[in-house]
Amino acid sequence: MSKLERLLNLLAALLHTSVPLTAEQLRTRIEGYPDADASFRRAFERDKDDLRTMGIPLKTQTVPGVDPPIDGYRIDPEEYAGSDPQLDPDELAALHLASNLVRFEGVSGDQALARLGGVVGEQEVATVAALPSDDNLGPLFEAVRSKHSVTFRYNDTDRELDPYKLSFLRGHWYLIGYDHVRNDERQFRVDRIDGRVEVGAAATTERPASTDERIESWELGDEEPIVARILVDADQAGWAKHYLGRDAVVQSHDDGSAEFDLVVRNREAFRSFVLTFLDHAELLAPADLRDELISWLEEFAA
Amino acid sequence: MSRLNSSDRLARLLAIIPWVASKPGVHLDEIAERFDYPREHLEADLLEVVQFVGVYPFTPDTMIEVSLDDDQVWIRYADWFARPLKLTGEQAISLLAAGKSVLAMSGEESGPLLGGLTKLGAALGVDQGLEIRLGSAPEEMVDLLRTAITEQRVVELDYYVFGRDERTHRAIEPERFFADEGKWYVSAHCRMADDERVFRVDRIVAADLTEETFERRGTQSPGSFTPRESDPRIVLEVTANASWVAQQYPNEGVVELDDGGARITLAVTAVPWLERLLVRLGSDARIIDGTEQVGENMLATTAARILERYR
Repeated sequence: MSKLERLLNLLAALLHTSVPLTAEQLRTRIEGYPDADASFRRAFERDKDDLRTMGIPLKTQTVPGVDPPIDGYRIDPEEYAGSDPQLDPDELAALHLASNLVRFEGVSGDQALARLGGVVGEQEVATVAALPSDDNLGPLFEAVRSKHSVTFRYNDTDRELDPYKLSFLRGHWYLIGYDHVRNDERQFRVDRIDGRVEVGAAATTERPASTDERIESWELGDEEPIVARILVDADQAGWAKHYLGRDAVVQSHDDGSAEFDLVVRNREAFRSFVLTFLDHAELLAPADLRDELISWLEEFAA
Repeated sequence: MSRLNSSDRLARLLAIIPWVASKPGVHLDEIAERFDYPREHLEADLLEVVQFVGVYPFTPDTMIEVSLDDDQVWIRYADWFARPLKLTGEQAISLLAAGKSVLAMSGEESGPLLGGLTKLGAALGVDQGLEIRLGSAPEEMVDLLRTAITEQRVVELDYYVFGRDERTHRAIEPERFFADEGKWYVSAHCRMADDERVFRVDRIVAADLTEETFERRGTQSPGSFTPRESDPRIVLEVTANASWVAQQYPNEGVVELDDGGARITLAVTAVPWLERLLVRLGSDARIIDGTEQVGENMLATTAARILERYR
């Protein structure tokens, strides 16, 4: 009797039953467990872990009508199987190629595709990007998908959030949602969440049509927002346009230089950003922000 | 593929059983290839394991039936495994993220990738919940570079070297296009340096796709930062406020100080690079060793130069 056979039979029993089965019941119905109580317990615990690691929704429930209460186990077939997207072979092949081009750390694209009908098409391609993984991404995605609130710790504060969206921007994962503690939309860097997120009750707010993502250091702050205007020289204007977005451009001059308007919520971070241009950019407005920059420079200038 | 362990086999079988059940008489070779299951193990596992799976009391009517005839396979009565196990959250993200990114890169507005993604998104019940931006770069530039890589054509480049703060002109043989930390890069053999170089796509000021072709050299895409031995070394002492410099800048050693500050050894690969750092940090940093190599008053002269713009 192989472990593989035991696991398949355990799975069949748990999917088949409509009432939770106790460990004892499973032990008598499934061949291949050791006889000694302690060894059985250990093997059974390992089997449960193995199944859960694969993402199988094995539930522990109290067996009804038994006193004293006793734990039982079952798997809801509806939770076990997803709805089948019915992908055609050319769609599977396209997703296969995509998952080779853009990888996700710690996940085998082939194993994911197996659950959708297998790997079709053989393509040797160079990876163009590898997205970083995070233990909280799986649960967060489930929470976004099923519209459930999440709780977690961030910057030494407990948060309760209705998650709206996961975004991968500038090389990092962000979570955007409605923060019930601050009563406002907020965003969080997923890799800075402290510990594990807990998925809670159904979300009570609706996702708005669009969310307001901020990723630049000068946008991340609690200061009163101000609009700052900078002038960037021709050589740097090209990349500044792509970096800051064309929406930020308010004027393009004939010499190739350009003016940008940016919303600033963190003045110190913004000064730092403007200074990365050295003398190829000028902070034009507002006057007080410009004066702050001048004073900063005067303090160190020869 | 070497020998699969029992978890690998279980994961594959849970995908294989429903698939074969819905395709009576499918060939063993096709299953082996689709699900990356060595054929001899597959055959053995179907006949010696799956065949004996069922539920209590394990009478023939409560067990899976497997038959194999001339390498064709039939699986019947596998009702518990009639549908494949759903994707884990991470698997779902990986496929959606890969699909969305590749779609954005290709700019396709129809085709199998879009079709597959749409079906997948609908089955998972997500539409607006996941956004992926691998990097920002002008679309025309991305197209030009990708064409150059595919057709192995030399590109004439006007490139802004950020570290040295200067604009350069050179011919490159682009080999690979990739995203990292939210930015697009192209790795190429640079004819000016006669060596491999990595270019950030959004710092390309202008590019010209020439008709000249080149032979691929198989570049290694090294990290974009490799200081030379001849580069000056300095030791920068930073306060606790600026201790992040140790994490964010490639360095050659960090000594942490009791007050939360640090002494960081840095290779000065280009002067403007250090000027930027100093003028941003102000009084939170000072050079305590190596000033003779980079100039006594770098911060003061840099600040004065920038101030000129504000006079």
